[in-house]
Amino acid sequence: MSKKSVTAVVLCLALAATAALAASEHPGKESIEKNGYKGPETCEECHPGTAKAFLDTVHWKHASKVTNVDNLNPKLEYGMKNRIYVMCNGNDIVNNLKEIPKSPITGKSKFSGCNTCHPGNHLSDVGSTGPAAAAAVDCLVCHSTDYDFRQRKPFKNEKGEVVMGQDRSVKAALAIGKPTVKNCMVCHEAAGGGVIVKRGFTFTKDTDAHAAKGMVCVDCHKAKNHKMPSGHDPNNWANDGVFVSCADTSCHGVKPHKDADLNRHSAKIACQTCHIPRTGGAFAKDFTVWEQTADKFYEPTTLKKEANETTPVYAWYNGTVKNTPHFIGPKGSRKDGKSKITPFKIFQGRAYYNKQTGQLLSMDFAQPMSSGDTRAGVLSAAKTLGLKNPEKIAKEAVPGWQTVYFGSNHLVTKTKALYCANCHAPNGVLNFKDLGYSDKEIVKLTSPELYMEKVAKKQKEEW
Amino acid sequence: MKKAVSVMVLVAVAALSILCFGNVASAGEEIKMVGVITKIEIAGADAKTATATLKDNKTEQPVVITVNDDLTLDKFKDHRIVEGDEIRCKYEVIDGKNVSKLFRKTAGC
Repeated sequence: MSKKSVTAVVLCLALAATAALAASEHPGKESIEKNGYKGPETCEECHPGTAKAFLDTVHWKHASKVTNVDNLNPKLEYGMKNRIYVMCNGNDIVNNLKEIPKSPITGKSKFSGCNTCHPGNHLSDVGSTGPAAAAAVDCLVCHSTDYDFRQRKPFKNEKGEVVMGQDRSVKAALAIGKPTVKNCMVCHEAAGGGVIVKRGFTFTKDTDAHAAKGMVCVDCHKAKNHKMPSGHDPNNWANDGVFVSCADTSCHGVKPHKDADLNRHSAKIACQTCHIPRTGGAFAKDFTVWEQTADKFYEPTTLKKEANETTPVYAWYNGTVKNTPHFIGPKGSRKDGKSKITPFKIFQGRAYYNKQTGQLLSMDFAQPMSSGDTRAGVLSAAKTLGLKNPEKIAKEAVPGWQTVYFGSNHLVTKTKALYCANCHAPNGVLNFKDLGYSDKEIVKLTSPELYMEKVAKKQKEEW
Repeated sequence: MKKAVSVMVLVAVAALSILCFGNVASAGEEIKMVGVITKIEIAGADAKTATATLKDNKTEQPVVITVNDDLTLDKFKDHRIVEGDEIRCKYEVIDGKNVSKLFRKTAGC
């Protein structure tokens, strides 16, 4: 190799290294170091209009119009802001972040509320609009990898208002970039009352094939203008109007396997059915009985398992949702031409129902958290919502159960995916009877006749 | 002789009881506890290990837990987990240390 060639190669390598370094470092470092970080105002120097646009996203509004769920008003918006169901019996309205009454045992209080994860400062809260709201957006909690969470704590200002603190330090601002798994999990891992309670998954290399490949949440949930694509979880109603699917052409496509027989399955079987054979998290909660914790406050009685420690249930799902006071879950059938057999994390919760109307009631957590008095929580929520005769409603409220089907869309595995005999066998993973198959069809579906020859050939090739 | 035999039987029964019902951890056994963090010791941003002292809710005794997993260490470093947080912990005794296998805040929203 000539001296010239060596020099050219070295130069190319140096250029590539510089380009890679520049790509990993977010521009604007000098400006932030020079002028300090002033919140969205600083970000807007390069991203004008972004903060205002963010106010129109589900992450800010905790609600959106919902078109696929029964018994909702199509003109109204629904989500964590106002929903009443049994995973979170409170919501942002009735269980707004506040200082709870002092514990009768310790005399101590604490801050609590459903909207503690909202990326504002609480003065500008869920769904707020205008310049003050835009200025209150906590860009760094999602975009910085060096955020000091000691700053993100609620406190009372000089007016006695509850404010959610933010880390707006230069140090945090200099560590900005695309959200990492950690950024998302700050809120999403502890939703529903504790780590791995609501969704029941962790996103680590040990628990998810995508994480093992080095992917992060936003590689699939790839937002445009902060509109976040989501799946079609029967219990995740609010959405930004954009959706993500395994079958997206940029991901696995509609024919993801080399084997045509497996690809034929994907017409009627959701990818998750074979590739997410386990789930986890809370499987039952009781909002009518709260347990005392070490600090003498109370929490709803919760039964839960770790990620991958429970098995899903399976049902036909066409993307629409049955929503009644005692059931939230998938609609669909074998014959509607749209449904696929889909796995769900099953959850059941007990809460109070209105004796007169049969509707599920919501709960302000402040009172039960302080004293264990759950009916006081129902009373406070009924007052906040302006229900007539709130005292009567709370006194007569009747405990009852609601079953909720959560989407099971994480904990993806390739190596531990279901194989032929997991389903096509008597008493296999799928209950073909419940799924609408006839006895005659079931005999055929549960026989090795279906796959014997092919799998035997494959086995011979492999060994 | 009778007295000596009685004493030996008593000692054996006591030892067996401790082994069966005692809360003494042996190597390889996974122990579960819930407790409040009273102290976190971690040496800087590049630390690969840390210790957290938990006050066991049941016994009220301090238990020093060694934490080696990256996810929890990161939560110590950016203060997502701080002193005063209640923790659900599983640990194993390895070479005399209580090594964390699971270290989770009990609280959520």
